[in-house]
Amino acid sequence: MRRGSIIQLVATGVVAAGIATAVALLVPWLPPAYGKEAQRIHFVFWFATVIAIAVFAVVAAVLSYAIIRFRVRPDDDSDGPPTHGHTTLEIVWTAIPAVLVTAISIVSAVVLAQNSHAGTDPLLVNVRAQQFAWSFTYPNGKTYGYLTLPENRSTKLRITSNDVIHSFWVPVLSQKQDAVPGQFNTIVVTPIHTGTFPVICTELCGLGHALMRSHVVIMKENDFNTWYRKGGRAAAGPPGLAVFQSNGCGSCHTFKPAGATGNIGPDLDKLVQYAKQANRGSLTQFIHESIVNPGAYIQPGYQNLMPSTFGQSIPPANLDQLVQYLAQGAKS
Amino acid sequence: MTDVAVAHHDHHAAPPRATGFRRLTAPGWLRALWVTPLFFGIGAGLPVLIRWAAHWHPLWNGSVITTVELVTTPLGFLVGLGGFDYWAHYAAGRPTRPEDHSGHGARSWRDYFRVNTDHKVIGVQYVVTTIFFFCVGGLFAMLFRAELAQPGDQFFNPQTFNVLVSDHAALMIFLFVIPAFAGLGNYVIPLMIGAADMAFPRLNALSFWLLPIAGLIMVAGMVTPGGGPSAGWTAYAPLSVHQPLGQVFFNMGVQWAGASSIMTALNFLVTIITMRAPGMTFWRMPLLVWANFTTSLLVVIATPFIAGSQFFVMFDRVLHTNFFEIGGGGYVLGYQHIFWFYSHPAVYIMILPGFGIISEVISTFSRKPIFGYRLMALSLMAILVLGFSVWAHHMFVAGMASWLRVPMMVTSMVIAVPTGVKVFSWLATMWNGKLHFNTPMLFATGFIAMFVLGGLSGIYLASVPIDIHASDTYFIVAHIHYVLYGGSVFTIFAGIYYWFPKMTGRMYNERLGQLHFWLTFIGFNLTFFPMHYIGLQGMPRRVADYAPRFADINLFISIASFGLGASTIVFLYNMARSWRWGERAVGNPWRAMSLEWQVSSPPPIFNFDEIPQVVGTPYEYGVPGAQHAIFGAPKPEPVGAD
Repeated sequence: MRRGSIIQLVATGVVAAGIATAVALLVPWLPPAYGKEAQRIHFVFWFATVIAIAVFAVVAAVLSYAIIRFRVRPDDDSDGPPTHGHTTLEIVWTAIPAVLVTAISIVSAVVLAQNSHAGTDPLLVNVRAQQFAWSFTYPNGKTYGYLTLPENRSTKLRITSNDVIHSFWVPVLSQKQDAVPGQFNTIVVTPIHTGTFPVICTELCGLGHALMRSHVVIMKENDFNTWYRKGGRAAAGPPGLAVFQSNGCGSCHTFKPAGATGNIGPDLDKLVQYAKQANRGSLTQFIHESIVNPGAYIQPGYQNLMPSTFGQSIPPANLDQLVQYLAQGAKS
Repeated sequence: MTDVAVAHHDHHAAPPRATGFRRLTAPGWLRALWVTPLFFGIGAGLPVLIRWAAHWHPLWNGSVITTVELVTTPLGFLVGLGGFDYWAHYAAGRPTRPEDHSGHGARSWRDYFRVNTDHKVIGVQYVVTTIFFFCVGGLFAMLFRAELAQPGDQFFNPQTFNVLVSDHAALMIFLFVIPAFAGLGNYVIPLMIGAADMAFPRLNALSFWLLPIAGLIMVAGMVTPGGGPSAGWTAYAPLSVHQPLGQVFFNMGVQWAGASSIMTALNFLVTIITMRAPGMTFWRMPLLVWANFTTSLLVVIATPFIAGSQFFVMFDRVLHTNFFEIGGGGYVLGYQHIFWFYSHPAVYIMILPGFGIISEVISTFSRKPIFGYRLMALSLMAILVLGFSVWAHHMFVAGMASWLRVPMMVTSMVIAVPTGVKVFSWLATMWNGKLHFNTPMLFATGFIAMFVLGGLSGIYLASVPIDIHASDTYFIVAHIHYVLYGGSVFTIFAGIYYWFPKMTGRMYNERLGQLHFWLTFIGFNLTFFPMHYIGLQGMPRRVADYAPRFADINLFISIASFGLGASTIVFLYNMARSWRWGERAVGNPWRAMSLEWQVSSPPPIFNFDEIPQVVGTPYEYGVPGAQHAIFGAPKPEPVGAD
């Protein structure tokens, strides 16, 4: 190759690398890293990105240079030089990618090991998924429909499912884990930033998949300890509201008193009217039956989708609170 | 004797026409018209009869009957059409009928609509059928992109949305990309290796006819009572076990398409191993033949696994087995292990034949030999072997044995090496060449650029920590479309444009072809590049509704996707118009060296009037006096000619 060509080729490569770097830096690709694990994952991301930009620049430079310089007129019938190969070159372009992917593999394996390490005193939270809600149970036995985490302390989440496969993900914490019926899968999160952030289901789990959302509240460790000691009441309000929230009713049902807007199942603000249509006993009897045996009466226009497990999973006392809460809310 | 056979055909433009009652028993659409309902009746009657004899109630079980119907009705159709006539005749011990080649070759458009044993007819049947399903699958994508243009529910409820998403992927994978490569391979491989046809022409015809059946079953599943298959194309258990009846259509559609794949792959293997022309050693085979050889090995080994996974789901549903039912001792993740043991090799099934097409196109339009031919062939074999050791990288967050993650990451990363070898070899082939940017070359070049981007995002996903963040988000959607659309579909377009003159005897319109490329290339990038961003930011895949902050960018993606969809109209118009009115093509419009270009366009009915003697590799561009093959060797007798 002539020296001029080499300079042109290198210049093209530098331009391509510059454009790729600009795209990488100017677009906020990743959400903020609000967990120690997320910070490490972001590090791997940027490590891989540096290598990707280099590979991209080489390919883009060679390809665009070839397109511009070696293009011929349609009536040019000549052939190119009969080059069949070049052993050294072929060894080089086998070896260099091998080295690069080995480097990414090593960094990834180290980060994976670090991210699985929960330290000496992790908080343990059981996460249970079901169509289409999350529930989070703390060591004191209390269960909530949303997750509360202390800042700067590792939490081990033991994740399982009641029905089909779901997947637990908090984008700002980066950690993700499928919830699989019959097994407990563990991930570690160590938040480093307070605030409220979305919890998302990322595995297609049925009709309500898109709405299977909750949130995580990350608190200063002192605030968390206070919240935890006080039994962590979600909000001031009737006891039935806590049951409503911890069982994720709002992801499928609309119920104004609870601020719920789900639209998979029947609108609970219309319970009085439904009870009349169903004609299956008093309002509270109807509500009770519809929770423990949802298939007994299906409101026209809706499908028989509700899990039939709430009768076992909600303790009788809480179930009564929930029924009262719904009956009162619907009447008002 | 070939001449005799051809003369014979000229007298019988169609198989000897039966008359009267015989027309009803002669193979063809008329017989299919009454045999299909007959088998439908058997499919409904058999379960009822057995349940009656065993005193099971209710006698009429819709789920069981549907499952049986999805086996018997297609069989009836195939029997009626004549897919099994020769074999039935042979199995019954009746005297062998001399092969009159009446079901071989096409003399009118009607011959494309019956069981035909000519690999060239079958190839065209395949390509046209798969393009049809490409359009159907694309239409589904347009529909759900319309829904996704805004957050909230606009046009479809979540059930319909999930069905559209599931069937979009199922049609594109099982009814377009995989069989489109089988179709192109069918047309080209026997020509490229100097053979008169495939090794098993009747099996070849049967493989094709399973395909429209599979497609119809997939589409019919959408309109079953209770809703179509809506568990995604991956159909993870236990969700898929508890889906409405439409899921059985998905289970069985995959079986028919899979059977078609396996039979074609066996046919390719036997054809490539045993029917190469004299002198066509393995190291003289075109890379497309190498690519289909390795792909066929993948298909034969891996496809039975997806068949198993779908049967297990169906058994859990219909027979109440407990493969994936936790309450009955089932193993939920077992589904994913079996499914991905096919479906990861399947991504190579969907790209290796494309690599072959690109090698042919790049070499021809660069007027240079393939750079590092042997390493190119060996890297295909390396991908074949490694391809079986990476399946669990789809399961990094699934909760499988955690020790498996690092080894699967390393093997996934290592696959980048042989793939990189191929990309660098194509670039080196172009280097210093005399590049002609006809439409096939545009698609080939566009393929290299897009596939490199898809490969790079693949490196991110192979890394376990990054995959934990990006898994099941739109980043995955972006990645698979960069490798399957920017990758596989671009190579299919390159292949169709490249061999269009050979298949039809006409030239396509070059300006429309180039317009098609640019519309596709731009529309593709505008549609799929932003998906990397929304995925990493936190938008999961397969959702009908999403957070309002992704609204603007989703609207942009939807508009771009409509543009991308519209670019297909240019392609269809060009193909239809050029097939009818295009300029007549000469035998070798691209001045290529491989064997298919050394015969007329379209080729003679038995491909070669003289068996070629292969004397060198097919890429000796620029070598003075070099030849791939010489004609003039003694003619052997064609089998079965009278």
